[in-house]
Amino acid sequence: MPSRADGAPSPEKSFVLESNAGPARQSRVTAARRKPWPAEATLAIAVALLMAALSLLRPNFLNLANLVNVFRQISINGILAVGVTSVLLTGGVDLSLGSVVALSGVVAASFAHPAQHAVFVPVALGILAGAACGALNGIVVTRGRVAPFIATLGMMTAARGLALLLSGGRPVSNLSPSFTRIGAGDVASVPFPVVIFGAVGLITWVMLTRMQLGRYIYAVGGNENAARASGLHVRSVKMAAYTLCGAMAGLAGVVLASRITTGQPNAGVGYELDAIAAVVIGGTRLSGGAGGVGGAMLGALLIGVINNGLDLLNVSSYYQQIVKGLIIVGAVWLDRSKQK
Amino acid sequence: MKRIAIGLAAMLLACCSGTRPAASRTDAGPVIGVSLLNLSNEFIVMLSRSMEKRAHELGVRLVVNDAERGAEKQVQQVESFIAQRVSAIILNPCEVEASSPAVEKALAAGIPVINVNSETRAAPTAFIGSRDEDAGRIAMEYIAHRLHGNGNIVMMHGFMGQAAQIKRDQGAREVLARNHGLHLLAAQTAEWDRAKGMSLMENWMQSYGDRINAVFAQNDEMAMGALIAIEQAGRKGKIVVVGVDAIADALEAVREGRLDATVYQDASGQGTAAVDAATQIVRHGLYEKQVLIPFQLVTHDNVGQYLQAH
Repeated sequence: MPSRADGAPSPEKSFVLESNAGPARQSRVTAARRKPWPAEATLAIAVALLMAALSLLRPNFLNLANLVNVFRQISINGILAVGVTSVLLTGGVDLSLGSVVALSGVVAASFAHPAQHAVFVPVALGILAGAACGALNGIVVTRGRVAPFIATLGMMTAARGLALLLSGGRPVSNLSPSFTRIGAGDVASVPFPVVIFGAVGLITWVMLTRMQLGRYIYAVGGNENAARASGLHVRSVKMAAYTLCGAMAGLAGVVLASRITTGQPNAGVGYELDAIAAVVIGGTRLSGGAGGVGGAMLGALLIGVINNGLDLLNVSSYYQQIVKGLIIVGAVWLDRSKQK
Repeated sequence: MKRIAIGLAAMLLACCSGTRPAASRTDAGPVIGVSLLNLSNEFIVMLSRSMEKRAHELGVRLVVNDAERGAEKQVQQVESFIAQRVSAIILNPCEVEASSPAVEKALAAGIPVINVNSETRAAPTAFIGSRDEDAGRIAMEYIAHRLHGNGNIVMMHGFMGQAAQIKRDQGAREVLARNHGLHLLAAQTAEWDRAKGMSLMENWMQSYGDRINAVFAQNDEMAMGALIAIEQAGRKGKIVVVGVDAIADALEAVREGRLDATVYQDASGQGTAAVDAATQIVRHGLYEKQVLIPFQLVTHDNVGQYLQAH
C-alpha cells in the first residue's frame, strides 16, 4: 500500500480516533456534516456534461433507443460494482469477480438446456455458486486472516479453473428460450438486466443506509479496531459482505450467460477491475469506511457512457484505452483533491 | 489448522507428482512434448484432442502442457522438455517474438521443433498450420459476393496486435481494395469476446442505423455476439454476418440459417498433421518443411459435413 493512500486523513477515521472508539453511527453523522457537497452530485454533473457533449457530436446518442442500449450494456458491470461496494467499504477487495461471473454462468447454463428445469433452477444455482465463492473468500479472509487481495486472487484463479473443468473448456450452449429471455426481454421497454441492476442497487442502498448491517460495514471499514472494541462481531460483518458480493457476481454471471446465450468459461476476464473502477470513481475509498452504492452506480454509468460514446464516434481502440485510463484516474484525483 | 493446511498441500503435491513423471517415462515409443497456447480456448482444446487421438493411433506418447497464453511460461515448459530429453517438441506458439527463444533452445539441444497453428520468428524444423490471411480473404469475398460488390461493411478485430488479428485484417483489406463498391464503415476491436462483440454491434447499429449491410467478425465468438444483437434489434435478414473458426455454436447457427457463414479452420487436421510430422521426423528423419491445411468456407449448403466432424 502506498503511504499516500493510507496517510490521507479521512474525516471518519480521524473522528473515530479522536473520540476514542465511539459508536460508528456518530462518526457517519459527523462525516455527513463535514461534506456538504456529496461526491455523487459532482459525478452526476460530470456524467450529464459528458452526455451533452456526446449528443452534440453525435445527435443519435441521446435518442431513447441508445439510452436503453447504454443502460443494458452497463447492467452487468453495474451489478458487480454494487456487489463489490460493500467489500470495498470494509476495507477489503474482491479480485475474483470476473472468474466467479464465468463460473456461475457455466453452472447456470449447464442447467438451462431446453425442457430440463424450470427457469428459476439455473438462476438460483448460478447465484448460489457465486455466493459459495464469496463465502469461501470470506472464510479465508476472516478465519485464515489472509489479506483480501491474496485470498480473492486465489479464488480468481481457482474459480476460472473450475469453470473450465465443468465446461470442458468449451462454451455451454443450447439454452432454453425462457432462460435467454432474462438477458433479452424487457418490462415496459426497460430491459430485464437494467431492472435487475436497478433492483440490486436499490436493495443494497437500503441495506447500507437504513439497516444495521450497513452501519456495521461502514464501521468495520472506518476503523476495524474501534469497531471490534465497541463490541462488533467484525468477522460476521465481513463474511456477510463477501458472501453478498459473491452472490451478486453470481447473478451477474447468470445475466451475462443469458445475454450472450451461452455459459462461457472464458467470460468476464478483467470484469473485477471495471467494477472496482466504477466504485472508486463513485467516491468509495479503497481503504474502506467511506463511499456508497449510489456513486458506484453512477461510476458504472460513466464508464458505460464513455464506452458507448467512443464506439459511436468510431474512436480507434488504442485511443479508447488511453481515454478510459485517463478518466478513471482523473475522476478519483478530482474527488480526492476536493476532500483535502 | 496450520497442520491441516500443510497436510492438504502435501497431498496435493503427491497427487501432482504422481501423474506427471508417468507420462515422461520412456519405456515404450518416443515421447513428444507439447506446449499449447491456451487450453481454455475451444479451438486449442480441439487441437489438443486430435493430437492425443493421433498419438494413440501411432503409438507415441505425448506430454501436453498448457502455457496459459504466457510466452515466458512456454519457454520454461520447453526448457523442461529439453531436460527430460523428449524426442520432439510440438509448439503452439503464444507469440511471434517472445516464443522464439523456446524454438532456438530446443534446436540448439538437438531436439526437432514442429510449430503448429501460428508462427515464431525463429524458424522451426517444420510448420503445420493455415494462413490467416486466407481466412480474412475467404470471408470478405463471400461478403462481396452476397452484396453483389456494393455495400457498407463493419469489421470486428480480435486482440489488436496478435498474429491472427493482423493477418485476418490484411486478407480482408486485400479484397476491399479490389472491390471499390465495398465501403468499410467502421472497424473496432471486440477482443475475440462474445459479450464485447454484442455491445459493439449494438453501438454500431445505433450509430449507423440501416446503413450497415454486412459484418465481418474475425472470430465466431464475436460473430455470434453481433448476430444476437442484430436479432434482438429485429434486423435479421438485412445484415450479412460472417465469422471465422467454425466453432460448434457457429456451425449450429449456420445450420439454422441464422449465421450466414463461417470459415472452417481445421483444428483436427492441424493436430493430426503435427503429430504425424513429429513422428516421421523421429522415426524416419523424413519430413516436409511446411504443411498448410486450407481454410474452408462453411455456409448453409455444406454445413452438414462440418457438424458431423464435431
